[in-house]
Amino acid sequence: MPDTRLRRSAGVLLAAFFALPLAVLVVRAFADSWRAPALVPQHFGLRGIREAFSGIALDAFANSLVVAVIVTAIAVAVGWPAARVLGERRLRRPGAVFVVLAMPLLVPSYATGNGLTEWLLRLNLADSITGLVLAHLVLVLPYVIVVLLSAFGPRVTVLEDMARSLGLTPLQRWRWVTLPAVAPTLAAATFLGFLVSWSEYGSSLAVGGGRELLPVILLPFVRSDPQIASALALLFLAPAIAALGLAARAARSPL
Amino acid sequence: MSAALECVDVAASPGGALVLRGVGFSIPAGGRSVLVGPSGAGKTTLLRAIAGLQALDAGDILLGGRSLRGVAPHRRRVAVVFQEPRLLAHLDVVDNVALALRAAGVGRAKRRARARERLEQVGLSAFVNRSVQGLSGGEQQRVALARALCAEPDLLLLDEPLAALDPNRREELRGLIVRLQAELGLTTLIVTHDRAEAAELGERVALMLEGRIVQHDEPRALFERPVSAAVARFFGVANLLRGDVRDGLLAFGGAHIAVPGADGPATLAIRPEHVTIDGDCLLRARVVESVYSGSFVKLVLDCAGQRLHAQVPPGDAPPAGAQTGVALPIAHLWRLPGAQDEQRVGTAPTG
Repeated sequence: MPDTRLRRSAGVLLAAFFALPLAVLVVRAFADSWRAPALVPQHFGLRGIREAFSGIALDAFANSLVVAVIVTAIAVAVGWPAARVLGERRLRRPGAVFVVLAMPLLVPSYATGNGLTEWLLRLNLADSITGLVLAHLVLVLPYVIVVLLSAFGPRVTVLEDMARSLGLTPLQRWRWVTLPAVAPTLAAATFLGFLVSWSEYGSSLAVGGGRELLPVILLPFVRSDPQIASALALLFLAPAIAALGLAARAARSPL
Repeated sequence: MSAALECVDVAASPGGALVLRGVGFSIPAGGRSVLVGPSGAGKTTLLRAIAGLQALDAGDILLGGRSLRGVAPHRRRVAVVFQEPRLLAHLDVVDNVALALRAAGVGRAKRRARARERLEQVGLSAFVNRSVQGLSGGEQQRVALARALCAEPDLLLLDEPLAALDPNRREELRGLIVRLQAELGLTTLIVTHDRAEAAELGERVALMLEGRIVQHDEPRALFERPVSAAVARFFGVANLLRGDVRDGLLAFGGAHIAVPGADGPATLAIRPEHVTIDGDCLLRARVVESVYSGSFVKLVLDCAGQRLHAQVPPGDAPPAGAQTGVALPIAHLWRLPGAQDEQRVGTAPTG
């Protein structure tokens, strides 16, 4: 069957496209020396891993995780009602709201972060987790809202009307009808929100100061020491993959 | 327990446009009424208002003598079968049917057993462990009906429950709804836009035009004794003969028709199927159009300048262009109450 063969080779090609850079990353992380023409490193070693799991990197990992989790939680909690109103077309002029939401995404995030720092300094929030959370929210919230709003609309409201007429209390309605109906989109929005915060560099650099996040300490090593950068990247990858797994699971059966 | 429904001067404007303009009608406990009317008349809005899904501008809705004003939809004990089945895709058939029992805190085994009984009642006992995906439209609508019955409501509302089904399925489900309603003695209001369906489904039929109930009566009365020209037109009474009654007689096409009631302007209504062709009759007409449509022939007659519509058996139908006599059996002639009737419907001030 040429058709299945074509499909299989397309699949292999696609998988290779994503997997090969990751494979190189793993090898690079364990290569104490690996010069260009050679396909295999000359010396394997744990120098990169030791650096990646040193105090400063682990602190940054913890900071990044705390910030990303808090930002995602707030973005979903605040974004839900906003997405609902936009998705159900209850605004007379949604265009203005979208422009305001999209503005931080159009400006480089370093610039947004710089502008925010001026305010955070005056609010006494610079160099704090709160400051980083606020800075990331500006970027994460639009993503969460724009993804989540597609879940709402007549498809959900007609089910909710049905639930009302059957005597479901507001909480039961939310738990048994609304949440399952929006679960796949909610999972996607949450995953995206987490990733945007987790990988945010520009505003983290601008606002961070004393509190370094993982992308901020990773990037300088990309030029100076690829082995440490690769090891850090593996550390960077772990929560993202965990989040993807959780999102895929939650989309199938929420809570 | 089944309860009586009463709507008193109900006004509502979904999306800002006044749709219900003072609806008043009632259904006794255990009664079955059909709400019929053209699209846009406000039927679904009234249903949503009764279910609590649409706020009222004015008026009141009473269930079992108790006002529903301020009662949240989920506390009204009013179950709705919507035009689309609205099943939950993540639950199987039984859990969909048992949803209201789950909300009421009935244990899993017990509620699933009761849901199975309901599924049996709607003729779906074989579908118990099925997922809702892959059910046909008719099956899904039966599941929705079983789900509504499982809530043991005081009032059942059905919004065009047959509209999305093909004719055979429609026939079956219509029979099922009538049979179950009679068995359970459940107060029921059914919305449809189809007048034949209204006649077949309802003990009584309420016609809604432009946000008001204009006549609520047994089906036959709406077809044969309409209260206004607008009602007559909706129910296919194509012939409205207008004239002046003098000494109890109305002159029409060279004949005189005896008319009950006072002298003065009058409008007589007669259904096309009651107009008969009889060569000996004094009332003469020319056949303008003769259309064969299977079980009968549709005739358009010119009777001294007035158009008459008739439906006659295929054997007796004269061809187009023929001259013939027409009989208007006195038993089927109905004088519309009120001469200015035509103006009254639809243009009366609101409130």
